[in-house]
Amino acid sequence: MEKPRITKRQMAETHIAIPDAYDKLEQGVISRREFIRFATLLGMSAGAASFLAACGGGTEATPEPGEAPSGQIKRGGTWTSSMQLQLLDHPARLSWVEGANIVRQINEYLTLTGPENITRPYLLERWEASDDVLTWDLYLREGVTWNNGDEFNADDVMFTFGEWLNPDVGSSMLGLMAYMSGMQDVEKVDDYHVRLHLQFGDIAVPEHLFHYPAVVLHRDFEGDIIRQPVGTGAFTLEEYAEGERAVFKRREDYWQMGVDGDPLPYLDELIYVSTDKDAGVAALQSGQVDSLYDPRPTDFQALQDAEGITVRPASTAQCLVGRMRVDLEPWDDVRVRNAMKLCQDRAEILRLAYFGQGDLSLDAHVAPVHPAYCEKDIPEYDPEAARALLESYAEEKGIDLPLRVTLATKNDQAEPEIAQALKELASPAGFDIQLDITEPAGYWDRWTEVDLGITSWTHRPLATMVLPLAYTEESIGAWNETRWTDTEFEGILREAQGTLDVEARRGLMCQIEDIMQERGPIFNSFWKSVWNATASEFKNVEAHPTAYDLLYEVWKDV
Amino acid sequence: MARFIIRSIISTIVTMLLVSIALFFLVDVGSGDISVKILGVFATPEQRASYRAQLGLDAPAWQRYIDWLVGNDWRAERKVGYPLVTAMNPQTGEADWWADIDGQLTRWTMEEGQLLTLKRQEDGNTTKHLSSGAWELDEEGNETFWGVDTNNNAVKWQRGEGAEVWVLTKAGLRKEGDGPQQYIPLRKGLLRGDPGISLQFGRPVAVTLIPRIRNTLVLAGVAFSIIMPLALVLGILAGINEGKPLDRIISITSLGFTATPEFVTGIFLIIIFGIWLKVLPAVAIFTSPNAIFEDPKLLALPVLTLTAVELGYVARMTRASMVEVMDSPYIRTAIIKGMPKWRVVTKHAIRNALMAPITIIMLHVNWLVGGLVVVEVIFGYPGLGYYIYRSAIFGDYNAIEAAAMVTVAIAILTRLIGDLAYTLLNPRIRYA
Repeated sequence: MEKPRITKRQMAETHIAIPDAYDKLEQGVISRREFIRFATLLGMSAGAASFLAACGGGTEATPEPGEAPSGQIKRGGTWTSSMQLQLLDHPARLSWVEGANIVRQINEYLTLTGPENITRPYLLERWEASDDVLTWDLYLREGVTWNNGDEFNADDVMFTFGEWLNPDVGSSMLGLMAYMSGMQDVEKVDDYHVRLHLQFGDIAVPEHLFHYPAVVLHRDFEGDIIRQPVGTGAFTLEEYAEGERAVFKRREDYWQMGVDGDPLPYLDELIYVSTDKDAGVAALQSGQVDSLYDPRPTDFQALQDAEGITVRPASTAQCLVGRMRVDLEPWDDVRVRNAMKLCQDRAEILRLAYFGQGDLSLDAHVAPVHPAYCEKDIPEYDPEAARALLESYAEEKGIDLPLRVTLATKNDQAEPEIAQALKELASPAGFDIQLDITEPAGYWDRWTEVDLGITSWTHRPLATMVLPLAYTEESIGAWNETRWTDTEFEGILREAQGTLDVEARRGLMCQIEDIMQERGPIFNSFWKSVWNATASEFKNVEAHPTAYDLLYEVWKDV
Repeated sequence: MARFIIRSIISTIVTMLLVSIALFFLVDVGSGDISVKILGVFATPEQRASYRAQLGLDAPAWQRYIDWLVGNDWRAERKVGYPLVTAMNPQTGEADWWADIDGQLTRWTMEEGQLLTLKRQEDGNTTKHLSSGAWELDEEGNETFWGVDTNNNAVKWQRGEGAEVWVLTKAGLRKEGDGPQQYIPLRKGLLRGDPGISLQFGRPVAVTLIPRIRNTLVLAGVAFSIIMPLALVLGILAGINEGKPLDRIISITSLGFTATPEFVTGIFLIIIFGIWLKVLPAVAIFTSPNAIFEDPKLLALPVLTLTAVELGYVARMTRASMVEVMDSPYIRTAIIKGMPKWRVVTKHAIRNALMAPITIIMLHVNWLVGGLVVVEVIFGYPGLGYYIYRSAIFGDYNAIEAAAMVTVAIAILTRLIGDLAYTLLNPRIRYA
């Protein structure tokens, strides 16, 4: 039998840049993973890209972990999880991942960013980006039906875009898709083809389409998903008792097929029970529930060796950023900022604050899991150098050391531990850090205003998605909590936002990371790991960097 | 007696009113911007302002308090010009608001810049018609219209060059000068049995609150019926055996348990019985609304925890009271005249010794209903205390107010029962 082949011309038909990327893959310049990410980003189907990657990389194609031969899959069973259930009405308005995990079982997204941080088409058949990444063609999958029997088509997508871009709905998609000035930028070409006309180029459109509030809604949706649980997803909502429980049943006519040739999902029933985290841990240990939403590091400690429970880690771009207001003294002086950066013993902070469960970080908001991350040496703890910087600052200002500063943060994840460690580590350098730690709500009321603070930032699949949010001129007044702007930085960032080529973008990221380390407004010791803790009889479970429950292909081995 | 009860009822109403006012303004001052909690920290100020208006949070606090108490449909009726009524939505089982135009229930909606009339049919479905001639000119020369929208708000729509708003069309969204300008989220007010919509959950408070009250009453009821008889018996036994080994054993054990806070006892019980031995459910996981009836074992550890905490308290109180009574001259007289000791205790001592414990017990009923926050959190038990706690953290004033009214009512009711119990125990006590 002749092996299937994809020629370079066929690759170029999908996007002109893919053959170049393929050459780089063959030369070993980029990894298979980077190639898949790059090619799928340009609209190649994930299957074709994986196939090419397997051929080109010179390494053997191995089956994905957790993938089982079809003979083994068992159908049926109930999966129960402990997760707080909060306000749930309009999915576009979701501001918590917990709610998205509910909606995700009923509704689906246009794209899907998998646990490996690669984005692929989902309700889309494929997408195409123009060379200047200003025009995006979204080709919708045909033959998908809503659970009320209607056919999924471009009207639903147009309606959903309308909800995102309507300020009265209150969706965070509006801020995310700043490159869309309104519905005039969304064009319905035909029933299965929608075209986006961006005001400025952005390569992150596919990632944005998998942002957690971005589920596609039915064209007649009236604003409350509990009253109107119409979706294309694999489960139907049976019961939703706010603050108590959500129950889903398997849908019989779902469009995706399992490996055994019948429609997904494998499980019959999902139940989410709303409890406090500690109660959830006890319930998981005693076998009353099968999984626990987003375990904390202490839960990880409690569960990692528990019998019958499998704990799977995932690296993320989630972090607890130390940020300094550059419009206020003393942080307006780069010496003081850099002195603070030098006061981090990163490995020690990671150990004290997060049980060593994470990846060490530079003082730049770019994580190793970001495809275009530019690898650099992790800076050393150097209190002497920090002291020298502070002394020169103090001399110029005519003040005495120690320099007294207040570090504000919230008692939430590992912020108090980081703050406490930093207080001790920075003391020999001449900082006298006062701690101002409040409950999370108290910090979120003032997170953009405090002089010096530790803010939690969530995972975003691309660095170009997070940097414009907090380190640019136009983000002042919104999420630019440090007020830091830098013309050179912004120029490079804009270029990176329009650069699809991962290698070229990495070059830009090297410069971006250098600038942030040299004169940037943040310090960050580590990128958090997250975990998925699930009873061991469940198979095909994967830990997702944003704690998304992707359950359609999970099955129970009884 | 009748006068006493009437006076109690009046004072109850006054107390509830004062509590509701105090709570309302405390929550209002303390809770911060709710739109941030709902939309997340990343919403833009415009989005927040719009959302606050839709929730009616842009109205001043006194206005919202009056709305909460007596409703605002009468206020909105004057604007809309038709009687506003509620009708059951067969799909959700919740009440929807409609304008009653000569017997025809009507709502309005804006589509593609057109005002449409929705008419409710007998079966609960609606028909859509183009609305004509509804617009009125206001003082500033804008065309406006007050009606009821599909989200149970009285809404002022504006046509023409109003504020810039987004209007949803079939093809998506269009930016134009039309759209809703002002919202009054309709409600009947607590006095007419409508505690409003929970800001935290977006559902009517009553829908969530009633199962919570039921769950808590079950837990409290089971705990109460185990703890109180046991505590009284142990207290009486200890009291009549003052200073003897039995008294020492009862006193020290019960004191030891009471001195251990419930979050310690609870966690130990979970670890021992739920996780090591796996003989009892570690926490109260409600996989169905009636889980506690289907699997009463779920109650075992929470009740055990409550017993450990409460038992010593009541037992010690009873013991002290019993010791005092047993020392009194009339008991000595009864014993000296040769009455059997068990008769002395049952006939003369217990009645008098129960006065003090009754007060404690009645106070504890109240605590069992509204104050079980710690136990409910530890065991993940969906009860009233946990509900109040979460609502307070969120600043969900509708939910806090409704729950507080329930607990205040229970507090006063139990006090009343306590007062009446005194008269039964001691006929010398009379209320006039």
